[in-house]
Amino acid sequence: MGGSPGGPIDRGQHEVEDWERLADAINGALGAKGLQSTDELRRAIESLENYRDLSYYERWVAATENLLVENGVLSSDEIDERAAEIEQLWDGP
Amino acid sequence: MTFEAGERVRVLPSGKPGHVRTPAYLKGKVGWVESLIGAFPNPEELAYGHSGLPERPLYKVGFRQIDLWDSYTGPTEDYLYADIYEHWLEPERGTT
Repeated sequence: MGGSPGGPIDRGQHEVEDWERLADAINGALGAKGLQSTDELRRAIESLENYRDLSYYERWVAATENLLVENGVLSSDEIDERAAEIEQLWDGP
Repeated sequence: MTFEAGERVRVLPSGKPGHVRTPAYLKGKVGWVESLIGAFPNPEELAYGHSGLPERPLYKVGFRQIDLWDSYTGPTEDYLYADIYEHWLEPERGTT
């Protein structure tokens, strides 16, 4: 990975999950609105401290959150509050 | 500085911090200019929300795999091609 030994390649197929499609769509929308660029996303992904612990789209989501805060689109508090609301909806009856 | 197709080049062994598009495994390696791809805004600047202007020439650069990997056992004619921006290249006049 990145020129370092990465071990054997997993050639297995996997289904794309709904949240992964959503992550892709949100990034497309942010790009179309001029709020985020591919180069910024790449940089933000490379900057993730837990890069190697995350899956492909987990990196996208974590990096996008950092960029949204960095670019002043949302605050960390706003994101956390909204995430807590959604979590409650899922836990509800 | 402009490079012609076929010209031998070395990738700068720069440790420039931040986002760069030059793969670490190519830094310091010698290859040849295969072709000029075009000129594009500098991704190292775009990555931090800047304009990336002026545009930088981008080349398709070829390398021999045996020049890249210590343990490479494949044929000498195995090549790797990478897109490298001009400001990452210097003329290579030595022989290998």
